[in-house]
Amino acid sequence: MAQNPFDRRRINGPEESFLPVFEPGQERPTTWNARCGRQSTDIRQIFLQPGLISQANGSAYIETEKTKLACAVYGPRQSKSTTYSEKGKLNIEVKFAPFSCTRRRYPLHDAEDRSLAVAIHQSIASSVRLELFPKSTIDVFITIIENDGIEGCVASGAIAASTALADAGIEMFGLVTSCSAAVRGDDIRLDPTEEETNTSDGVVVVACMPALSSITNVWQSGRITAEVTLRCMEMCQDRCIDIHSVIAHSLSSMNKAP
Amino acid sequence: MSSDALRAQIFQRLHPHAYLDRFLAEGVRPDGRESCAWRDVFVNVGSISTADGSALVRMGKTIVVCGVKAEIAEPELDSPDLGFIVPNIDLPAMCSPKFKPGPPSEEAQVLSERLNDALVRSNILPLDTLCIASGRAAWCLYIDTTCLNYDGNAFDAALVAIMAALGNTTLPQATFDLDTSTTTCSRDVHVPLSLNKIRRVVGLSFGCVGGSTPTLLADPTSFEEPLLTSTVSIVVDVEGGVVSVERGTMGENDGGQGETSASQDTGSLGECILMAKERAVVLHKLFE
Repeated sequence: MAQNPFDRRRINGPEESFLPVFEPGQERPTTWNARCGRQSTDIRQIFLQPGLISQANGSAYIETEKTKLACAVYGPRQSKSTTYSEKGKLNIEVKFAPFSCTRRRYPLHDAEDRSLAVAIHQSIASSVRLELFPKSTIDVFITIIENDGIEGCVASGAIAASTALADAGIEMFGLVTSCSAAVRGDDIRLDPTEEETNTSDGVVVVACMPALSSITNVWQSGRITAEVTLRCMEMCQDRCIDIHSVIAHSLSSMNKAP
Repeated sequence: MSSDALRAQIFQRLHPHAYLDRFLAEGVRPDGRESCAWRDVFVNVGSISTADGSALVRMGKTIVVCGVKAEIAEPELDSPDLGFIVPNIDLPAMCSPKFKPGPPSEEAQVLSERLNDALVRSNILPLDTLCIASGRAAWCLYIDTTCLNYDGNAFDAALVAIMAALGNTTLPQATFDLDTSTTTCSRDVHVPLSLNKIRRVVGLSFGCVGGSTPTLLADPTSFEEPLLTSTVSIVVDVEGGVVSVERGTMGENDGGQGETSASQDTGSLGECILMAKERAVVLHKLFE
């Protein structure tokens, strides 16, 4: 894949380089295999640590097996734009580390990080009390260190962002939690891996505030019937309640420590 | 927060020079270290499955992650047997309020260049070992480092991360087929890089502060960095050989505070090199 050869701000390699091509034959089967060690309604274990990034006002690191990302919140700080705004601005930026995907991600190569940022923004925007921060911006920066499916990144990103906002002491209506599901036929699997989403008919990502039992964002793609989608949403919501206690626990255990 | 702690914090924000000065007058630094003490370093290798080699390094509160991705490229015409290494460091807006989102900052560009220099000069990875077929195919290693939390001295941390990640990197066995002129890699056989281990290098950085008690600080933090009048960065290999020394004068250079006389300068430089060699032994042990 060609890199912009005129980017003098980085150290550039050869003009073209390609992913290694492997021998045919022993490929890993990419089918909807039975999950090993995990029920279809089980989600991957979450490791969540707030306050890892000391330079930021608030931060969180989340790891669910092969999905790893870090999130930092800066602000509320003065808005750069000169126009007066009654409400604060929530600015979310997502960045993939170049080594986070199977294929190396060239900096500024595609817009996937921006669509991810929009999805995460949707998930958490309605939970933040932006009316309390006139003329200010709250910056949420997310770096994806390892990616195991975009849906997982959106869900973990929303969880990390909400945790980091809480860690920064920014007022919210409630913590946002998020969960994804992949569907194949009648089979619904929660928190799918990249392999599972690639072989599925469709995916659903739900973000909600369990404390207020309200949904903040639903993202469905692929070919799924309405009934199955609703069932997915219910299952995701159930799991979100569990995730909510994970966040609450991680936040309170951090505050206990000196 | 108690009002005393808050007052100290405000003092630190408004008068960073005086704040640091008062600590140094007592012989300690704001984080409790002695002037020439280093922060603890933790290395964790191989945690990122999407990379061919990876390492996470924590140096005090500074956290950097390095991932190596290998791709295949055609060698340059004038050096048909050489592969490529492409080291870049990213200081994203996430890691510190100092950095803005967007293209690499000047600081990141300089840092990438210095890391590249250290890698090339040390010759830890001879480029001819990356050759698959002369003139046709060679490995290209993208060595990307991302800073997660910037608390100063990213150069030392990044160099440790790069060395650890290279040590952790394995490449699939590749064969070049002349008939189809394609390279095929084995799925099962992975070989580690043929690193020139005795040429492995670590970086050790110092900073000098002026003020009432001019002091040499090892491993400066992000609070201390902007207050430094000069910096010294030394790259040392396994046998204690000095690979490179960089000395820079920076920060506010008001009225000769930063300029030291030549004799004083060489004296402190010698001191730095001695301390660097001593510390390098500890850092090199991390890779074993």
